[in-house]
Amino acid sequence: MTEALPFFFMTWADPWLLFLTAAGTFAGIYIGAIPGLSVTMAVSILISFTFKWNVNDALALISGIFLGGVYGGSRSAILLNIPGAPSAIATGLDGYPLAKRGEAGAAIGLTTVVSVFGGFVGILALALAAPAVSALALKFAPRDYLMLAIWGILLVGSLSGGSLAKGIFAGALGVLIGSVGLDPMTAEPRFTFGSLQLTSGISYVAAMIGFFGVAEVLAQLHELRLKAVKQDVSKIIPSWALLRKYLPLATRTSAIGVVVGALPGAGGDIAALMAYDHAKRTVKNPSRPFGEGAYEGLVAPESANNAAVGGAYIPMMTLGIPGDAVTAVIIGAMYIHGLKPGPLLMIETPHLFWFQVGALTLANCFLLIFGLTGIKLFAKVVETPKSILLPLILVLSAVGAYAISNNPVDVYWMLGFGVIGYFLKIYGFQVGPVILGMILGPLMDRSYRQAMISAEGNVVQFAGEFFTAPLSFIILAALSFTIVSQTRWWKRLRGRA
Amino acid sequence: MHNPRLRLVGELSFTLLLVGFSLFMLWQAYAISKFESITSAGSFPMFVTALMVIAGLIIVGQTARSKPLPGEAGESALQQFTRQITPGVVVSFTLSIAVYMTLLGVLGFVVSSYLFLVVSMWLLGSRRVVLNLVVSALSLAAIYVIFQTVFSVVLPTSSLFKGFMS
Repeated sequence: MTEALPFFFMTWADPWLLFLTAAGTFAGIYIGAIPGLSVTMAVSILISFTFKWNVNDALALISGIFLGGVYGGSRSAILLNIPGAPSAIATGLDGYPLAKRGEAGAAIGLTTVVSVFGGFVGILALALAAPAVSALALKFAPRDYLMLAIWGILLVGSLSGGSLAKGIFAGALGVLIGSVGLDPMTAEPRFTFGSLQLTSGISYVAAMIGFFGVAEVLAQLHELRLKAVKQDVSKIIPSWALLRKYLPLATRTSAIGVVVGALPGAGGDIAALMAYDHAKRTVKNPSRPFGEGAYEGLVAPESANNAAVGGAYIPMMTLGIPGDAVTAVIIGAMYIHGLKPGPLLMIETPHLFWFQVGALTLANCFLLIFGLTGIKLFAKVVETPKSILLPLILVLSAVGAYAISNNPVDVYWMLGFGVIGYFLKIYGFQVGPVILGMILGPLMDRSYRQAMISAEGNVVQFAGEFFTAPLSFIILAALSFTIVSQTRWWKRLRGRA
Repeated sequence: MHNPRLRLVGELSFTLLLVGFSLFMLWQAYAISKFESITSAGSFPMFVTALMVIAGLIIVGQTARSKPLPGEAGESALQQFTRQITPGVVVSFTLSIAVYMTLLGVLGFVVSSYLFLVVSMWLLGSRRVVLNLVVSALSLAAIYVIFQTVFSVVLPTSSLFKGFMS
């Protein structure tokens, strides 16, 4: 444990890393808060700019952006009643009524402190659980990885509100896009249509920027005329008595955040909604009725969504399976830097894990500082008209797509995926599973073939191993439950109970 | 809990298009290594594209069963599509992006981005031309400095003004 300390404190001791973490957190808060900008979009674009950097520099910046962005979404939910990020949807339910009562400053202050608290709980869980999960993951067979990857894609597609069939389609589309190029095992061309360009595959960074950047910009064009309301943002720092009162609730909802965040595919948005539901069911006498400005309605989702950040890192670092769309993009960043997240990463390069934990802890400290200051300036920035903001995002996206390999073709891919992503979004498909599919596709392909080869190509033996190996059976049961719980029959059955 | 979604105009055609695309890709996946072996290069893509076909068909069924979102009185399907799915601002902005991408290689990053920013801000309803010109110049200067110096990013260069400006 003591050998981990120098790596843990690396970001704290190196002025450049300290600056990058601070800058990332600061930028993340604004990115998360400005409706139309998302953390996933920002990290996707950022990857293309940081791929030449030292891996530590890139991870420090990304950690700050991730933590800051998850928190930042609450700011616009409170001030504008527009969640800056999906994880802040529940926050607006009570945050905006509080702002309308002239308590926006108090709401932001309380949100900041409980977010930081949740963040620490998540990081602590990451530090304690990841080494154990990683040791367990060494026992995973290829078929287990195959099922975990499928599970992750399904969860992202279905839990975030869409239909199961649409989630499956989007995930499979991602796997398909990810399999374009030469087969990594036999070097046979797949879906290349005789094009030399396609043999090296489709850049997933260009696809990510297209699906999360361009598609989002095009979808935002439907809401160009939304106007902001001026809010009172004085009296920000919450009283000690108020914090003490909500500590037990924040602890419970942070635990929910960690567990939900650690599930493959379920991120801060689901954690926040579940925590809000938990608060509604368990708090007998809220400060005001829920939905009318209850402080409990802020404490629960905000502590949970930041705790989910640490939780989401657990499957990402230990299994190489992303906890949500943002960690899927971060996995992409790690691959670009030559790292392979998974159990071996923890064994071969434990310093990187502790560096990551240290960077997240530092970012969480910066979150407290930036969260409680500069709110008046902030209120002005989030009011930036979309007519100015959206073209700027587009220019950044184009630079990002070009920068990855200085190839103009990637910019066209980005636009193509952006247009497809726009139609998918409009017609109720989630784009998260597409990216997850692209990232996890090669792992699934390899795991399937390894599992089948180890079963000597015998389909019955291959299928039987899912039931005879205890670990595989547990994952299969969880996967099957996810599928069954999304069916109409199950929902009807629960409705009757 | 089941929340029936209203069918948007063009949604059924879109889902049918997805099924058609999935079938085409299934055929392409089959062409990779046919039924050579269960672990061949084409086996997993075949499984994935077959899954896309099945999921696509289910989506078509679900979409066909859902009630259509009613349009405005006397509005044709095309008019409804243009209003709800591809409003003028989406089409014009997408076209301006396509033109911008083409110009990137011809005029270079600075000139083409400046033109794109000024034109698209105006297209999206920001009618204060001087403000657009100033905001575009300042933000572009910031992007240029940050990405060239901090991120060491190579920005698209001009084929027209080679050696003169990027």
